[in-house]
Amino acid sequence: MKRIAVILLLALLIFGCNQKGTGSSAEPVDIRWFVGLGAGSDEPTFAPQQAVVDAFNESHDNINLILEIVDAGQAVNTLATQIAAGNGPDLVGPVGIKGRDAFKGAWLDLTDLVKENDYDLSVFDPKMVDFYTTENGLEGLPFGLYPSFLYVNYELFDEAGLPYPPQEYGKPYIDENGKEMPWNFDTVRYLGMRLTVDKNGNDATMVDFDPDNIVQFGYGDQWTDWRGVMSSFGAGSIVDANNNAQIPEQWAAATKFYYDAMWKDYFYPNAAYGGADFLAQGNWFQSANMAMVHCHLWYAGFADLPFNWNTAVMPAAPDGKTTAKMHADTFEILNSTAHPEEAFEVLAYFVGDASLDLLNIYGGMPARLADQGDYFETFEANKWPNRGINWQVVKDSMAYADAPNHVSWMPSFQETTNVYNDFWDKLQNNVGLDVDAELAQLKTALQAVYDAADK
Amino acid sequence: MSYLTRPSQWWKNMIFLVGTIILISAFLMPLIYGITTSLKSEIQISTANAPLLPSSSDTIDIDGTVYPVVRVPQEDGSYKEMVLFKKGRQSSQLLELDDLNGTPIEWQGNWRVLDRQWVRDFQWKNYKTAWDTIDFMRLLFNTFKYALISTFGAVFSGALVGYGFARFKFPGKKILFMLVMATIILPPSVTLIPTYAFFYRIGWVGTWLPIIIPTLFGNGYNVFLLRQFFMGIPKELDEAARIDGASPLRIYFSIVLPQAIPGLTAVGLFHFFYCWNDFFGPLIYLAGQPDKFPISVGLSSFNGLYSQQVHLIQAASIISAIIPFIVFIVAQKVFLRGVVISAVDK
Amino acid sequence: MTFATAPFLEGLMKNKTKAVYDKYNIKWGYFFISIWVIGFILWYLIPMIASLVFTTLDFNLATPDKNQFVGLQNWGRIFLDPEVLPSIYKVFSFAMISLPITFLFSFLVSVLMNTKNLMGRSVFRALFYLPTMVPLVAVVLIWQGVLNNQAGWINLFLENVLHIKAIGADGIRWLNDPKIIYFTYTLFGLWGIGNSMLIFIAGLQNVPAQLYEAATVDGAGPFRQMVHITVPIITPIIFYNLTIALIGLLQYFLVPYVLNNGSGAPEGKTNFLMVYFYRQSFNYFNMGYGATLAWMIFLIAFVLTLMLFWSSKKWVYYGGSDK
Repeated sequence: MKRIAVILLLALLIFGCNQKGTGSSAEPVDIRWFVGLGAGSDEPTFAPQQAVVDAFNESHDNINLILEIVDAGQAVNTLATQIAAGNGPDLVGPVGIKGRDAFKGAWLDLTDLVKENDYDLSVFDPKMVDFYTTENGLEGLPFGLYPSFLYVNYELFDEAGLPYPPQEYGKPYIDENGKEMPWNFDTVRYLGMRLTVDKNGNDATMVDFDPDNIVQFGYGDQWTDWRGVMSSFGAGSIVDANNNAQIPEQWAAATKFYYDAMWKDYFYPNAAYGGADFLAQGNWFQSANMAMVHCHLWYAGFADLPFNWNTAVMPAAPDGKTTAKMHADTFEILNSTAHPEEAFEVLAYFVGDASLDLLNIYGGMPARLADQGDYFETFEANKWPNRGINWQVVKDSMAYADAPNHVSWMPSFQETTNVYNDFWDKLQNNVGLDVDAELAQLKTALQAVYDAADK
Repeated sequence: MSYLTRPSQWWKNMIFLVGTIILISAFLMPLIYGITTSLKSEIQISTANAPLLPSSSDTIDIDGTVYPVVRVPQEDGSYKEMVLFKKGRQSSQLLELDDLNGTPIEWQGNWRVLDRQWVRDFQWKNYKTAWDTIDFMRLLFNTFKYALISTFGAVFSGALVGYGFARFKFPGKKILFMLVMATIILPPSVTLIPTYAFFYRIGWVGTWLPIIIPTLFGNGYNVFLLRQFFMGIPKELDEAARIDGASPLRIYFSIVLPQAIPGLTAVGLFHFFYCWNDFFGPLIYLAGQPDKFPISVGLSSFNGLYSQQVHLIQAASIISAIIPFIVFIVAQKVFLRGVVISAVDK
Repeated sequence: MTFATAPFLEGLMKNKTKAVYDKYNIKWGYFFISIWVIGFILWYLIPMIASLVFTTLDFNLATPDKNQFVGLQNWGRIFLDPEVLPSIYKVFSFAMISLPITFLFSFLVSVLMNTKNLMGRSVFRALFYLPTMVPLVAVVLIWQGVLNNQAGWINLFLENVLHIKAIGADGIRWLNDPKIIYFTYTLFGLWGIGNSMLIFIAGLQNVPAQLYEAATVDGAGPFRQMVHITVPIITPIIFYNLTIALIGLLQYFLVPYVLNNGSGAPEGKTNFLMVYFYRQSFNYFNMGYGATLAWMIFLIAFVLTLMLFWSSKKWVYYGGSDK
């Protein structure tokens, strides 16, 4: 039929016109930088990131860097689609361990590039270089560190007439009567209950306290999952050396502690309270209705906190040890890149010349040892001028980083994550559960996932 | 059924109207919540037991710090408005409103039981903030352009194909129509990667083409729906026209299409709003091209993983829903009025 | 597959035993549908075949170069996977609740919106359509806010106005109680009736006004008019909405996916078939197995669609048919 022929011809023409030329070698190489797996997909960070890209392009004739920011909720799908369709970007980041493990097998081993370029790795803490070394090789260069610590709302402590939590590891908490208490989770429980208040102004230690009408909470771990919450009681892993499921002893204790915190002592929000409007649907600390929040440094990078707040050190677990979980971000190169040399050049620029600019955008601490010294001066001047915030706490918290990390490898990473998310979800939503029985069920479910992964 | 007690027409109309208003209020309650949220201050949203409607509590600024004004019960049973200077569990410090520099008065009792002086206060500035945060004009323009082209093409092609399936008998029709249904039934996510790869190979990724062009060839939903409409239209008129020697195209344009206007309007609106809210397609094909983003993708940057600002998201969403809302009302007036008249005239 | 089991278009054909085609019909039939055929070949055919090929591969999205041919292993895995059967069961349990409620509500609202007794119909129509226009990000936040157990408007209303115990751990937990989660999701569904309502109304407008006038003269009340005139004439539209609703339910995943990232919460109740497909494909990156699940969804939905088409001969009345 004539008509069909005409349309086919038209279609061919359209196709033909849109075929991209391959370009001659004199033209700069396009390097696509994908943002969205970690920080960097919030509106306020767009322009500053573009500025870094523009600065790079101005100073580099051989490379045309292209920024591609994708909404965090869709970034995993989008990146997966691009990679699978053969249109993967060259450089991805900032990306944490979680994002890295989700795309296991897609990253380029940088070992050879580091050698060829004589890149000096000694500018980083060797522990951090190890952090990025997997069985595939070196997958990233250390870039941003985000220690965790307590964000403390001083106004709520003032209102309750309570002294502030300690800002030095090893120091006790001294209460309003001058009594010393060790800075551990028992003390957090006590303070948390005093700082959890119902609408009549009764706190959770009082007989008249009304748990159905709480308006202010004492303590919370903001935006993390079960493994993150558990890490405060000591680093652990839910997979043992033989790839079998295990529940670390301290995590079983922690699960019970937090379960009681939600349903018996009431100082930690359960799922319903946690999503309520007055706790800003999860942005707890910013709601100004939570006294102590455990979170990472990145939070200070973008949070809007128009009240008197400060930092405090992590409390000790029942065994006396202190753990402050750690996040670390980097940029990684996909092994499908057509231009590994150029991508590495951009990567080196990001963790080198541009690292302070980028870290100020994302709110991370430099992994480069030489930069750590006065990083907080710039950060404070940019983000929290004249607030008198104690940043030494953040630096000190690095020494208490969790190893193994709370987002570290597990067999079938995503499946396993789903299994414990289901478990934690149930605990956050249901009163009167037998936590031991739930933990036993969790272990069975984890084992099933691991067994399937072995096959 | 007895017609003796039948109420007068006026009463009947009123009952319908009131009933519908009650129904629509319940139906739109969540939306009212959304609009309310869009007009609240961040402070009100995060105050437990604050009024449900947008309000602000009276505050006083002393030396750069903002203090709330509260209603303090007096011995004679009346209330006095005072400044809550320092909050405390057992006792709080209050200031007289007319003597802000005076010595704070120690007040025994729990400040949380003191009522705040809430006054209705709509934070219209949230809309301005939302408007200024992202480039609304460009996003709306992009979306409108896309939705309009795509809708026009979808209605045009859907009607042609739907008519073909509804009125003609030809070999392979069953199989072809089953293929139409198959394109609806197969979950689109499973063909996402090959489709993306195809568009990438032909150099269309990074442009609007993969999102617009395929809709011009008739999409399964529209074809199926219009087929249903055409099959419901009696054949007498077009058969008479055919006997008179009219060509099928003439029959189609001047006899069949006018009878299908409600269906065409429905498909047009349906497709227009589909385009308006289409999110994943533009997101994935236009990644890295913020200048070309439609509103749905632009809005997602408000909803970043960690910096959710509920009141701004709601304000921005309401701005983006206004245009389709107007389109809906206008389309109804323009297309459906004509239908009612022709039905009466017949 | 043989297509003899699918005689759903027979109602259209004058000669049921043996189709006789004349030149006019063949020529113009192909002419009218040609644009779709071209579009199908250009945009759908290759991806469909490719996705079918995926079902024979071990294909990880992150490492596309390492895919391996595994024959029918993925299909075999479906029968061994303990998640598949329950997820089918969950879809149908949800459909049993959601489909009738949503369908009836949408139909009744459409009838109301088409009643000439109602003043300001076009405004009301737009208002009923309004939620369909609100972007999804906002819809999710709105429902999470309204249905929050502690501070949501619905529970506040139930507790303070109707004095039903709703707030607190022993109250009504709309989003987290596995016993009522399907009703909650149905509620979301009710909010999205816009499109089916639009189509119903268009159908209702096609009912010739003379028929009602004649019926009123004959003394038929509104109910009898509804059963004997309205419903029969719009059966093609009812049929369309029913088919699309059924297919939509089998592909249902967006709400659970956006609300809880497709985790199946609470307690796996929302681990519908399509949610499971999405998780396998885009969360675990098992595109090979995911594609197999998708094609299984296709087969189920296709069989159900064929059954609907087959049944439609018995109850759908086409004004343009030759009966």
